[in-house]
Amino acid sequence: MKTALALLIALSGLPACATVSQNRRARFADPMMSIGPRPLDAARHQKLYDAREGASGGDGTTAGGGCGCQ
Amino acid sequence: MKHAVRAGVALLACAVLLSVGSSSARAQADDTATNAAPATPFSDSEIFGPPSDRLKLESVTTRITAFDQSGYGYQSQAGPLLGPGSERTTILEPITEIVATQGERLTHRVVIPVDIVTAASADALDKYRKKPDVLSHASRYNEAGAIDWTATYKTTATTDVSIRSAVHLEEPLRSWNGSLSATQTIADGDATLSESLLEVFDWFDHFDILGFRHGRTQRSTTTGSFGITQILTETTAVAVNYGLSVQKGELGNTWNSVPLANGKRGAEQLPTERVRHAAVARVSQFLPWNGALHVYYRLYHDDWGITAHSVEGELMQRIAPFLYVSGLYRFHHQTGAEFFTTLAPTAAQYRTADSDLAPLDADTIGGRVVVDVPLDARTKSLHFEAGYERYFRSNDLQVNVLTWETGYHF
Repeated sequence: MKTALALLIALSGLPACATVSQNRRARFADPMMSIGPRPLDAARHQKLYDAREGASGGDGTTAGGGCGCQ
Repeated sequence: MKHAVRAGVALLACAVLLSVGSSSARAQADDTATNAAPATPFSDSEIFGPPSDRLKLESVTTRITAFDQSGYGYQSQAGPLLGPGSERTTILEPITEIVATQGERLTHRVVIPVDIVTAASADALDKYRKKPDVLSHASRYNEAGAIDWTATYKTTATTDVSIRSAVHLEEPLRSWNGSLSATQTIADGDATLSESLLEVFDWFDHFDILGFRHGRTQRSTTTGSFGITQILTETTAVAVNYGLSVQKGELGNTWNSVPLANGKRGAEQLPTERVRHAAVARVSQFLPWNGALHVYYRLYHDDWGITAHSVEGELMQRIAPFLYVSGLYRFHHQTGAEFFTTLAPTAAQYRTADSDLAPLDADTIGGRVVVDVPLDARTKSLHFEAGYERYFRSNDLQVNVLTWETGYHF
């Protein structure tokens, strides 16, 4: 976990690393390039994994909340 | 002296002439530029309509997902007295998402999921049975629904603030969650910082392992997280996120059982507090043959002794301008909780036989087909998606997940 935190702190310097001008970001308009899952996809994966893996939650999802079938 | 004066006058005259000439040339150039300039580009209001504070529907999406699960776990009593019992369950989940804008700054997102569950939770209100059937199956049928509303306000051109509130209703359980989050784009939109704070309260019936109800119990979960999303190149974006959750209260479902060394079954006994850490990294890479690769890694650790690594890759390929397909593989490995056991000493302070808290490996394979059909030159489009995933665990649990989604963007 300490390694992960160190990595995270190192990555927090990313905004200073690169600049890509707005007229060169056309690729990111494609839905395939979305960096995070769409909300409905995230909900499905949360339902699949959070109710079946004790290692769920901790990353902004509703760990332990919701369905009592956990 | 006269020559000097003449020279000075000549220079002055030249300077004036040059000045007039250049001004004239600039004016002509300006005139030419003005005449050659294209028509004024369309404004936002000409494209999207005049700004209004009225609600404007942006999209409606419906999805139906079916989860079909089979397998065995030692917490279930649907099997031999000290052996693993069935974890069979089927869940049908219709879900609707509505996105609407109100003026130029406010966006509402409402999600309404409904769960129809067979053989999963204690069916406290089943009028045909005197007590919930926690002995052979967790329950026969259960229904659950929720309303989840997120309002996002654009405070500046680069900052969004979101407030989320959700209520979940299930026969033995009531849950409320609220969150406050903010995102800010920096470096001309190259990077986005995000922070969120989430609070969840659950109230639910307390059943013993024989099915008798003992009033109500509760738990709370507080989660804070922050992350960074960064565009690295024209074709690469990365995101990292760290979150911390603190849970307090009754952290089990209360009817899970544990095989005991004395030949009987006893109740699960869990700590009343749990602290969870999770760090996530994502990479999204455009591929030259009009495809995309998404890679995801998650590291998790909690104070119950569980450490987990999850790796996922999804490869997408555009077949046509309106169609793409994808294939997905995920691997998850976790160590078990310190007090996980399949045969507990009767005097153990903490004990669980819940297969979800066991050491395990889990694989997921799946794929989907996505179709977006444009209906006009603006944003109007139809969306279709069909997907299948199979989840299988090293400790005997399998889930088939089928998804069908339709959406309309106005």
